[in-house]
Amino acid sequence: MVSDHSKPGDLTAAIQSVAPVDTRLQVVVRLQNKAERALHYVADVRAMRYDPTTRTLTLALSDEGREVIPSLAGKLPLFRHVDPGSEAEIHLSVPDRIVKLSRSAGSAGSAEPDELAFETQQLADVREVVVEVAWADVPYYHDTRASALQDARLPAARWEQHKARATKRQDKKRAPKS
Amino acid sequence: MATFILQDATGIGSDDLDPARGFIDMAIIANDTGLGMADPAAGKQRLVYARTGNGPPRLRLDAMINTAFSPNYGSGANNVDTIVVAGLKSLVLDDGTPMADNGTALPPKSSGLPGASLNPTEQCLVIYDTQLAICVARDGSGGVLDLPVSPPVALYHEFSHAFRIINNTLLALTVACDPSSPEERAAIIDENDLRTDLATRAGVSATLRDPGIHCGRLASDGEECCCIIATLVSKSPRSQQVQRLRCARDHFVRGTEVGHAFFDHFFRDYYAFSPQACTLMAGDQSLRHQLLEGFVEPLLDFWNMMVERGRCVMGSTQLGAAFIALHADRGHAEQRRAALQRTSAYWESGDGQSAEAPAQLMALLRERAWPSPYMQWALVAPVRLMQALLTRYLAGADAPAIGRAFTEALDAWAPEVPISTLWAGLPAAQVRRELGFCERALLQTTKSKTRFRQRLGERFPDITAVAGVLGRLQTIHKGDTW
Repeated sequence: MVSDHSKPGDLTAAIQSVAPVDTRLQVVVRLQNKAERALHYVADVRAMRYDPTTRTLTLALSDEGREVIPSLAGKLPLFRHVDPGSEAEIHLSVPDRIVKLSRSAGSAGSAEPDELAFETQQLADVREVVVEVAWADVPYYHDTRASALQDARLPAARWEQHKARATKRQDKKRAPKS
Repeated sequence: MATFILQDATGIGSDDLDPARGFIDMAIIANDTGLGMADPAAGKQRLVYARTGNGPPRLRLDAMINTAFSPNYGSGANNVDTIVVAGLKSLVLDDGTPMADNGTALPPKSSGLPGASLNPTEQCLVIYDTQLAICVARDGSGGVLDLPVSPPVALYHEFSHAFRIINNTLLALTVACDPSSPEERAAIIDENDLRTDLATRAGVSATLRDPGIHCGRLASDGEECCCIIATLVSKSPRSQQVQRLRCARDHFVRGTEVGHAFFDHFFRDYYAFSPQACTLMAGDQSLRHQLLEGFVEPLLDFWNMMVERGRCVMGSTQLGAAFIALHADRGHAEQRRAALQRTSAYWESGDGQSAEAPAQLMALLRERAWPSPYMQWALVAPVRLMQALLTRYLAGADAPAIGRAFTEALDAWAPEVPISTLWAGLPAAQVRRELGFCERALLQTTKSKTRFRQRLGERFPDITAVAGVLGRLQTIHKGDTW
């Protein structure tokens, strides 16, 4: 984390709308900067988590908690800023369902002891949407220090100072698909 | 038993996976008739390979497919198969990471290797998005992220990780993408073997990825990513055509948020079909030539004229003269018109049964390209406009007449540019700057400006910054610029 002169409440987030469009969910989030300086935030979805028990979808605009794994490319987040005393709106688009590798398929009692199986979670049934936006009062910069390589967190997770969190409960009546 | 392609699995629909594409990518890597698949069993198909050629990609595939791997991760040797999961764009790993536009190789769950905690099986899983649209660092560019990754290259990169996982020789991974970790560096070096092999087959010089930089970004996020169709038909990412396209894009993007946002959407839609379009066109020399003559070149000419017009306001006669100067060689102009007419015929053949155009390519364009307003505005309408002007010119129209027709067409086309939601997030001062840029660089005429402001106001009626700027403009002179 970089030197922090900001307060956690300097950037607030509110979910304006959650709407299904074709096979995606469009989420509009409005940010308000109450500080006297520009605040910088992550503007794209870095992780999606769905709890089927509470039907809560969490969209993390943050790299915190993500693991380092072999991959095709290390993709940095999109960074944007909001002026002092101003508002900004971000439009997020995520699939209306997510597929996960099943943890229960390989358990004792299944037909195939090491079967590769999946779980599909339909987000159209979501009851609550949570958006967490990582932000800092300085722009993201590439940390070239040797110590940065030893840090287990992804670079943008190291950069972030706070998270603005917004929740929205969905009405039981679903909006028609367009 | 060694390498499989997943065909079907519990918990997903039959259309979720893309095993056919997985095998095509594998076949592109091998480029060898010795590659095949055994009959499906338990939702998987085993790859079989009787290698007939040499070279690193084929030797690697041979080892992956024809070796039984039994690594010992600390609790005794166990057989580990590799399973390729192709497609499945909605896949999200347990830590929340979406796999769209990326790939990974997950080690067996009990291996203790990085990523093992995300794998519920004792197999090595190679997962990749078959419609990915990302760009990575081009070797020798100093870290410019403008090198596209095709699906076979992505698969081969993950195979490199998988090969070391199943041999228990995985190298160190670090959090930073620049410099690359030892493991990613090794995978990129392997990836470059395939890039070299593919370039040699196509008779072009290879453009390699920088092994020292593992960073990447969505093609839609970058101003540097290049047009892969123009690259294919002109045979090089550094061809004159691609450089001109890059120049036009930079003119409209540099320093402007709405320019970025436009290309953000544009590339998102463009990469929804272009990698597959390139695969379909790769083996068809005549189609590639047709696209260069009847699409890429006229499109480039159009956008270059738009750049010139944006730099210095051009009157309609100047515009007409610029168009005629491009077609001074009448023989060449006739050839181009014929090529444009053929392109138009391809596009308009509703059933995709044109004798010359592969039906698969037309089906792909109809499904994924044409519905996009970004593709229509930036790629289709300009080429149609050029065809109409060329027809007029070859019928005898002079510079003033061509110029008038050109201006009229631009007045109808320019203000219909798709409007990004990004406008809603801009502070008023920036809305003013961005609108000023649009009016100088693209709209120019009073008619165009008025129409665009009307659309912008209708799109964001309750966004105070937009409404405030447009309201202030109304109190100045209608159609005036910043």
